[in-house]
Amino acid sequence: MTPEWIEIGRGLCYAGAGLAFGLAGAGSACGIAIASHAGAGVMREKPELFGRMLIMIALPGTQGFYGFIAAILIMTQTGLIGGGNLKISLGTGLALFFIGLGDGIAQLVSAIKQGEASAAGIALIARRPESAGRAILFPAFVETYAVVALLATILFIIFLTQPSVLQLLPQ
Amino acid sequence: MRLSAGYMIPFIKNRPDWGFVCGRISALEGRLLPREFFTLIIEMHHTEDVYQHLQGTLIEDYLDPGVPWDDFSAIADECFYDLATSIRAECPSPVPADLFLIRNDYLNIKSALSGIDSRFLPGMIREQIIGAVLDGDYADLPSPFRDRITGAGIDVGELDESMSDMFVDGAYLRHLLMLADEIDSPLIRSCVQERVLGHAVSSLWRVLRQGRDLKQVVDLFLPVGEESPLIMDLAGAPDPATWPELVGGEIGDQLARALQMPYDDQISTFELKVTNFVLHLSAFARLETSGPERVFAFLMALEAEMQNLKLVVTGKINRISEDILGPRLRYIYG
Repeated sequence: MTPEWIEIGRGLCYAGAGLAFGLAGAGSACGIAIASHAGAGVMREKPELFGRMLIMIALPGTQGFYGFIAAILIMTQTGLIGGGNLKISLGTGLALFFIGLGDGIAQLVSAIKQGEASAAGIALIARRPESAGRAILFPAFVETYAVVALLATILFIIFLTQPSVLQLLPQ
Repeated sequence: MRLSAGYMIPFIKNRPDWGFVCGRISALEGRLLPREFFTLIIEMHHTEDVYQHLQGTLIEDYLDPGVPWDDFSAIADECFYDLATSIRAECPSPVPADLFLIRNDYLNIKSALSGIDSRFLPGMIREQIIGAVLDGDYADLPSPFRDRITGAGIDVGELDESMSDMFVDGAYLRHLLMLADEIDSPLIRSCVQERVLGHAVSSLWRVLRQGRDLKQVVDLFLPVGEESPLIMDLAGAPDPATWPELVGGEIGDQLARALQMPYDDQISTFELKVTNFVLHLSAFARLETSGPERVFAFLMALEAEMQNLKLVVTGKINRISEDILGPRLRYIYG
């Protein structure tokens, strides 16, 4: 494997890491904005519901952290953080790129949809504050698939970057 | 397309830019009154009890303790107006609120054409423009009114009161349709079309009861969008018993039911049934988290609530029988 191919492999893998946290962060920002609009509107009439609104608004923020975890894992497992100059084949690089992209898309979509589900839950709390416990369940179900995507990403990264797959490049 | 043709539920998409105002509406919807609230008022015997019962409602802030309610209708109208204008200011588009606020403008135009100064709180049209109508200047009035005058060469000032009312009603309905076309919402458009058709039928019916020739009157009233050919057909059929078949759909069915009522109650029953039907349709907006439909549906519900309050409170003050008040309550959205 020529050094150029290794460089392309490394480049693809870090592009995947970038997409993982970039898309997830963008999704979380959108999701929080959607829920915030609804929450702020409710607080215009019922400021006493601030505490309950806050939880619903914060929920879509988790996807941004999941993307961040996936990106950090790619960086540590491939040696960008705290490791040596690992030899990443084009195939492994391509695989890590699509894993990062897949995770990013899952986090992006789930964050936006969770924001919409949170906004619907906020509408329910506004009408029936006693339903807050049940209202939080709906966006929590959306969260499930963000967690599943993160778990799959972690497993893929760990197994694709085992020492038997990646070798240290000679200094 | 009219929703009554098959009760089709339109696709409603959530629009995050409406999130703030719809969040506020979610909170306000929790304060809409249930039917039992009105039936309890109907059963009360003292005005003081009614006053206590109204504590905690949206109208509470407008009621001064100890001050007699000379005109409860004006209080209810002011409450609706203030909330509607406040919601309008927070909407990405003013159209859903304008659909309700322009009613006052056209009532003011009617008053001005009769030589009376503005009596209703102004919606979209400034008081100066309404004031100019008193002097015969219609140049700054909205295009649904102005264009018809210039297009047909009608001198509204020369018409008698009932004819000028018909002309203003036609302009009002055209304005509603124009506003509904401005917003991308099949639900709002359908509700407005049903409302316009119902209003057009009841206006023609009232004119017919006055013994006037509908064919002469209808020229002042038209055009009213897609309903113009139907209105022409109605004008050519002087017996209202034939109208349900011509109108068709849900409005036609409501008309047929209203025709079975005693003669004096027919028109008011029809108007009530049409309002309830449109309220039912607009209630589909509750399936949506955010969007203009939520604003429209809430204002429909609030308008119905204020009408119900006016009915029961003024009914109690004037000692009207419980049997008369109950059936006249509008559909409760909450």
